[in-house]
Amino acid sequence: MQTVQKVEQVKHLPLKFGEVARYVIVPGDPNRVPIIADSLDNPIHQGQNREFNAYKGTYKGIDVSVVSTGIGCPSTAIAVEELSYVGAEVLIRIGTSGSVDKSATKGDIFIATAAVRDDGTSKQYIPIEFPAIASHDVVGNLIQASKDIGIDTKVGICQSKDSFFGETEPERMPVAPYLDYKWSSWKKGGVGASEMEAATLFTLCHIKKIRAGAVLAIETSDKETVQNMTKIVLESITYMEEKRNVQ
Amino acid sequence: MSNSNDKETTGGLLDNDMQYHVQLKNGDISDFVILPGDPGRVEFIAEHFDSATLVADNREYKTMTGKYKGRSVSVTSTGIGCPSTAIAVEELANVGAKTFVRLGTSGAMQDYTRVGDKVIATGAVRFEGTSVQYMPIEFPAVASHDMVSALIKSAQNADLTHHIGIVQSKDSFYGQHNPEGMPIASELLQKWDAWVKGGVLCSEMEAATLFVVGSYRKLRTGAVLLVAGDQAKQESLTKEEYKANMTESINMILEASLDIEEGS
Repeated sequence: MQTVQKVEQVKHLPLKFGEVARYVIVPGDPNRVPIIADSLDNPIHQGQNREFNAYKGTYKGIDVSVVSTGIGCPSTAIAVEELSYVGAEVLIRIGTSGSVDKSATKGDIFIATAAVRDDGTSKQYIPIEFPAIASHDVVGNLIQASKDIGIDTKVGICQSKDSFFGETEPERMPVAPYLDYKWSSWKKGGVGASEMEAATLFTLCHIKKIRAGAVLAIETSDKETVQNMTKIVLESITYMEEKRNVQ
Repeated sequence: MSNSNDKETTGGLLDNDMQYHVQLKNGDISDFVILPGDPGRVEFIAEHFDSATLVADNREYKTMTGKYKGRSVSVTSTGIGCPSTAIAVEELANVGAKTFVRLGTSGAMQDYTRVGDKVIATGAVRFEGTSVQYMPIEFPAVASHDMVSALIKSAQNADLTHHIGIVQSKDSFYGQHNPEGMPIASELLQKWDAWVKGGVLCSEMEAATLFVVGSYRKLRTGAVLLVAGDQAKQESLTKEEYKANMTESINMILEASLDIEEGS
């Protein structure tokens, strides 16, 4: 990153230094970005490059960005690196996920406290023994926001995998026994949701000393659920901004 | 071990039984247990309760149970390291413990973690051999959100200098204190450097297994680590300072226990 001038475009995101809000909502799907941005006042489309689609607007007077990460931890790491470079300080993922131990089931909204590092990207930052943990502060504000708005949520650990079809059709994979053994461990160990980005989001944000959280819909991606997740995240951002102003 | 319901073959690990290592049975302990490493610290911790009785003392596991401001509380020592900690947590859970807060000492890993500071662990680096015999290494060793929140609140109320974040749990004490002397020096040094760069606050020896076993057994967990030494700065607490700081840490946990509904 040292070769990039601050006024210049970062390599992948359609953003320059200072063009991002302190608070950024990071869905996976670039097509979900405008749906989330609909809940903002005066959303502006800042551009799209590859799977990275960027909007910025305000919510109750607070600047909020929405930037997609694409599927998986490799592109998520690029998004986190470049977002933090251009000025982001709090990244909250809105995503979809599968159910694992059935503590959360279809239609539930799940707030992740931490993630299983079943991904390859976070290991290229820090050894595997390091825990992928969401910011305690962000998680607390998300829980509080969901209670205040009256939207039920489940809270717990999610699993981040690299192979989508390794989860949905493990039997056809050459490493089927390995996938089965791991999956049964996550089930017994109390993992509530399975998705593809949180482990790197949490690990990398911790290393970069910025805050992260994730809100996941279990086995659904209908518009109403996405809007409910957006409501929770936006409300939590108002709490964080209020506390920041007090300090 | 073919019949898991057979007492003879499970070594007395069943619910309601006298637990093999901690020598406790149902009714002996509170739902809320403080876990120091050192059995010699148990009595000192119990002195901060309003009342306390010795209920068991076997190997490194010493347990006292009593009351604090009307709430039932227990303290059980785990011994040093994750292997004996896993045994303590499993057996305490078998006889009704639901919330576990480790109280321990630790070594500073950041410039800003100074001796006397209290670290409230949100999670732990699993640089130990026990938790991987429960869950694959990719699983995060994470404390319970509500326990962490209660500990933060009590630290703030008591105006204590505290840090909130990730700690490192290791198996080899001397591997940390004298990494160069070890055959695997390069791994120890490289990983230590990675934890420091990753923002890990302090180093200790039990939290990772407490958190992983806690997740698997659906228990509430937390940890308060008093920074007692700083290798880089060659600093440590005097005996008097240590005692005063321990008292602050104990009171912090006891106050937090009041936020946890009894039996929940």
